[in-house]
Amino acid sequence: MIPLEHYLIVSAALFSVGVFGILTRRNAVNVLMCIELIFNSANINLVAFSRFIEGALGGQVFALLVIVVAACEAAVALAIVMSLYRITKQVNLDKAAELKG
Amino acid sequence: MTAAQVVFYGACLVMLGSALYVVLGRNLVHCAFALVATLVGVAAFYVFLGADFLAGAQVLIYVGGILTLLLFGVMLTNRIYDLKISTGAVQVFPGAVAAGLVFAVLVWIIRSVDWNAMDTGAPGPTSEPLGKLLIGDYLLPFEIASVLLLIALMGAAMLVRRRTRP
Amino acid sequence: MSDALASLGRFLPELLLMGALAVVIVADLATQAWSLARSRNLLVGLTLAGLGAAFVASLGEPGGGSLFASMIADDGLLGVLRPLFALTAIFTLLFSLRAKELDGARMGEMVALLLTVTAALMWMAGSVNLVMIYLSLETVSVASYIMVGYRSSDRLSNEASLKYILFGAVSTGVMLFGLSLLYGLTGTLDLYGVRAALAAEDAGPALILVLLLVAGGIGFKIAAVPFHFWCPDVYTGASTPVTAFLSVGPKAAGFAVLIRFFYSGIAQPGADGTFAAVGGVDWQGLIIVLAVVTMTLGNVAALLQTNMKRLLAYSSIAHAGTILIGAAALSSEGIGAIVTYLVIYLFMNLGAFLVVILVHRVTGTFELEGYAGFWKRSPLLTVAMGIFLFSLMGIPPFAGFFAKLYVFAAAVEAELGWLAVVGVLNSAVAAFYYIKVLRIMAVDPGDGELPALRFSRLDGALLLALVTPNVVGILFGGALEQISEIAQRLLDLA
Repeated sequence: MIPLEHYLIVSAALFSVGVFGILTRRNAVNVLMCIELIFNSANINLVAFSRFIEGALGGQVFALLVIVVAACEAAVALAIVMSLYRITKQVNLDKAAELKG
Repeated sequence: MTAAQVVFYGACLVMLGSALYVVLGRNLVHCAFALVATLVGVAAFYVFLGADFLAGAQVLIYVGGILTLLLFGVMLTNRIYDLKISTGAVQVFPGAVAAGLVFAVLVWIIRSVDWNAMDTGAPGPTSEPLGKLLIGDYLLPFEIASVLLLIALMGAAMLVRRRTRP
Repeated sequence: MSDALASLGRFLPELLLMGALAVVIVADLATQAWSLARSRNLLVGLTLAGLGAAFVASLGEPGGGSLFASMIADDGLLGVLRPLFALTAIFTLLFSLRAKELDGARMGEMVALLLTVTAALMWMAGSVNLVMIYLSLETVSVASYIMVGYRSSDRLSNEASLKYILFGAVSTGVMLFGLSLLYGLTGTLDLYGVRAALAAEDAGPALILVLLLVAGGIGFKIAAVPFHFWCPDVYTGASTPVTAFLSVGPKAAGFAVLIRFFYSGIAQPGADGTFAAVGGVDWQGLIIVLAVVTMTLGNVAALLQTNMKRLLAYSSIAHAGTILIGAAALSSEGIGAIVTYLVIYLFMNLGAFLVVILVHRVTGTFELEGYAGFWKRSPLLTVAMGIFLFSLMGIPPFAGFFAKLYVFAAAVEAELGWLAVVGVLNSAVAAFYYIKVLRIMAVDPGDGELPALRFSRLDGALLLALVTPNVVGILFGGALEQISEIAQRLLDLA
């Protein structure tokens, strides 16, 4: 049987990798991926504690809702990235038009 | 080492290895695929913990939904827009030192706490009790999640809709 | 199931808001073909009705007890904050009618977001379960991200929104990790269960880690240093009504979560209205450090600003620091002081933002230079701004003075006199930049002859509604006392 500590240490490692990514990556979508790592590390904790400490399913419900939240945040964040991308592209095109004129 | 242990530590290696690729890789599309491996590894953890429904949800929602979304994002905007977030992207070495410190503190705390872990054995299928919890004790969070999904959907659609300038 | 049905009756404000949300969404779809002004009027009217009904329904004595299987505490704190959120939303909606940035914008999504975020603020303020705290905080956040990026054809708005969502997702993710550890340490998700488990057994360094992680999430919501980086950019990028809303609503809800988490989760009430930390970690020091750093940095940074929205952003950070003094007092009196401050802060801060909106309407700028010569153009507006700024400064007899007085009194009572002194010194620093704004408005000559300002009836009504509480606040000391007294009745103290 795998002891609780092993789950926790793997989750801590995943959390730290996520923190490293957030500190060092520059691309917005990539930072979003690192945030998903952090969400997942917390979820591993929740499910592991749900089994080993609480002995009930509270942690699993929490984890399920975290997945929902992650989906919402990813959707909104990507919508903003798209919108921004379109504007910056648009801005460049405007500049090009100005040069021609 | 039993077969289960071999599979577990194998999943750990795959998960952490691919997570490292996510934060170190040069090509964002490859990073997104590495994230798939990480997320599947997490789903494997859920299986080990007896959370069968959650493992399924992880694969379906995370890998099937969120990741597809991220891939779209990467492919549509890759290399064209690099955003520098305000915290100021840190160099790799100081970043590694900071993350290493975080990891050391976490491991120290995990080891120092007496968790009183008790294993009651793998629970049976969880979908039925989870469903009952969601319409029982956790009714309100469940409903709030639906409101959150609604508003996120609406907002995302609004944000990407092309507007004509007045 | 019966519990859920029984809870619904005491959940009326939230239900009304959700009902209005459904109506507004359908109305928005049904009126796509209408002219902009017509659909706008209909949507704003419907939303106003929903918010007004929620405001009325939220008045009156709180029921006490918990709702939905101990998810929400229907206690005094929620009872005071519910009308505050509804009122903030009403003002925001009316502001958005007058904001130049939103001219010609379709309002369908904006009113839907406003209704959702108002309900979510109420959920946040009532949460006594870790799942609820996290979920309601995220709902507020996601709705705020969209509101900030509302002008999706504006680059600044988009960049602010992206910065906000990345910073917010990291903060709440870190907080989530802390909550998961707390769940492991105590074996329960119920806040009062957490307290019981911690009181039974010390948690040591693990609890310190949990507190630091959770402070990240709460600090992000109240814009406390060092989790404030998003604040000036988001305030600048968002349209001004949204900025005004963010500076009041989510901040108040953040403080409610702070009170719930720290006072109900990791402290227990002792004799004579004081609280004592449980779990073997004396976290008072953490709050004190946050308070001092937030106040000082907010005020010093505000001195350097030349843009009105950025100035008010740093000012709101500084105010968060001042309110944190009340949280450090570890007493019921401190809770009362925090809530009183939040109520008064609503009127003074929204007032200042209203003036910013009206000035922007005629000058089209948020830069401080644009405020020159306003005395000649509109003495009325200058006087109103003067009242809001004096109130923010904490000068008697304006309401802001009493806000600060209660907080400092709570600190002195808790033998934190030196912290109150730091607070007073900070107020003195703050006076510099508030007076700078006034000097520019009243003394600096504007460029050439500018036409006098005309106000619409709505402007006049809004100004009057916001100026009055600031001026006559002194007459309603009794009402303030009562608010403070009700707010102190937490679920377990009622």
